[in-house]
Amino acid sequence: MSSCVIVTPLIIAGWPVISAAVTAAVGSLGYSIVLPSAAVQTDATAKTRTRAEIDIDDSEVLQETGAAGGQIVVERDGIRALFSRDARGALKLCVEGDGHTKAELKKIGEELIGRVTQQYAYHKIVTELQQRNMSIVDEQVSADRTVKIRVRNL
Amino acid sequence: MAQEELEIEIGPDGKVTVTTKGIKGPACMDYADLIARIVGREEHREKTAEYYEQAEQIDRHIDIKQRR
Repeated sequence: MSSCVIVTPLIIAGWPVISAAVTAAVGSLGYSIVLPSAAVQTDATAKTRTRAEIDIDDSEVLQETGAAGGQIVVERDGIRALFSRDARGALKLCVEGDGHTKAELKKIGEELIGRVTQQYAYHKIVTELQQRNMSIVDEQVSADRTVKIRVRNL
Repeated sequence: MAQEELEIEIGPDGKVTVTTKGIKGPACMDYADLIARIVGREEHREKTAEYYEQAEQIDRHIDIKQRR
């Protein structure tokens, strides 16, 4: 018998796990991580920039004792994206840049969130299945960036 | 005998599609449940053609038994 299930990931993790997913995702999209100090220095010029904010409802950034919570700033071609934890504890993304409409920035942000979610889901699935003695026998990334993995029981 | 396998696709939007292959009986649903629990919220579930092939064979078997 066979079945097919479609699942929407819920991002529920501490900042270090989310940070790792963001780092892996943005690299593949050509973004580079900006040091927090550099981000603060250029914030003064950010007032005139167009900005789009996206709340990721299917997320919860867990507060871990002793872990550095915070934010990650990434940049590409004059577009700056800031990942942070909002007041409700959900993951939030703010995208800003000159010469772009709010709709364009929102689309860019949604692409970023999709890829972060993909990275998070990949690591969560692989880690949990390996703990259950299952192994990956094949892994491919298709042209549309879909990750395909085949898993068997050991 | 077909090898028991899970085929997992993670789209660029993060959406996860899991297809079980060669897993007989309720276990195929158990694996689907497991992935849903690991990842998040189940959006859709369907039985594939392979599921119905198997179900048809069982129905025929029952039918033959009843005619005897």
